Amino acid sequence: MAACVGEEVVLYVGMALVAVGAAYDVIAGIGMLRFPNFYVRLHAATIGAVGGAALPLLGVALIAFVSTQLGPYRWGVGAVCLLTAAAILITAPTGSHILAYAAHKSRSAPKEPCVHDALEGRERRGGGGDGA
Amino acid sequence: MSVDTSAVMAWFVPAVTAAFLTAFTLYVVRVVRGPSVPDVVLAIDCLSYDLAVFVALMTIYYGTPFLVIGALLLSLWAFIFDVFVAKYLLKKDLSG
Repeated sequence: MAACVGEEVVLYVGMALVAVGAAYDVIAGIGMLRFPNFYVRLHAATIGAVGGAALPLLGVALIAFVSTQLGPYRWGVGAVCLLTAAAILITAPTGSHILAYAAHKSRSAPKEPCVHDALEGRERRGGGGDGA
Repeated sequence: MSVDTSAVMAWFVPAVTAAFLTAFTLYVVRVVRGPSVPDVVLAIDCLSYDLAVFVALMTIYYGTPFLVIGALLLSLWAFIFDVFVAKYLLKKDLSG
């Protein structure tokens, strides 16, 4: 009986994580559509990657661990979901950082409306723009 | 006896899918309208991560365990796409 209650708790926690992640995803989509330029849209992309992908994958892993439908494969499915969540947590910030650096360096994204760009002067003086 | 998760997933996954499809639509609008290359790449990144979650949900829904490998490959593909586009923007050359 104790195992039964524990499995129900894991299932509902996983469902709650997936539902919260879906809400984050819609918010990130709205932000991606409404924000004015590329550098502000990076913020929405981060919400979509960490809150909208890594969090629901954690929830899917919890659901998979107690799934009756997957049978003996449920541990493998949950482990791959956890691995995907870890990969997204590592690669999403790295990828968006690389992209932002390249976009600023090559001036391929328009900057208006721009309040202050500290990297601009540093690049004009011949520095790397990477803090070096 | 444990909980029958397939009965719970039968209503939960379609309900969550509605929210995910809304997010997909918003991202695709940004992919189509995106004024510059980094905008399009950023939106395709988010689209790939969401597709990874969607594939994992479909694995749970249909009970087909080997479908989940697609989620891992999608998330890694988005990172490779970032790196290659950044390299192209900086050097205008994809070799080396």
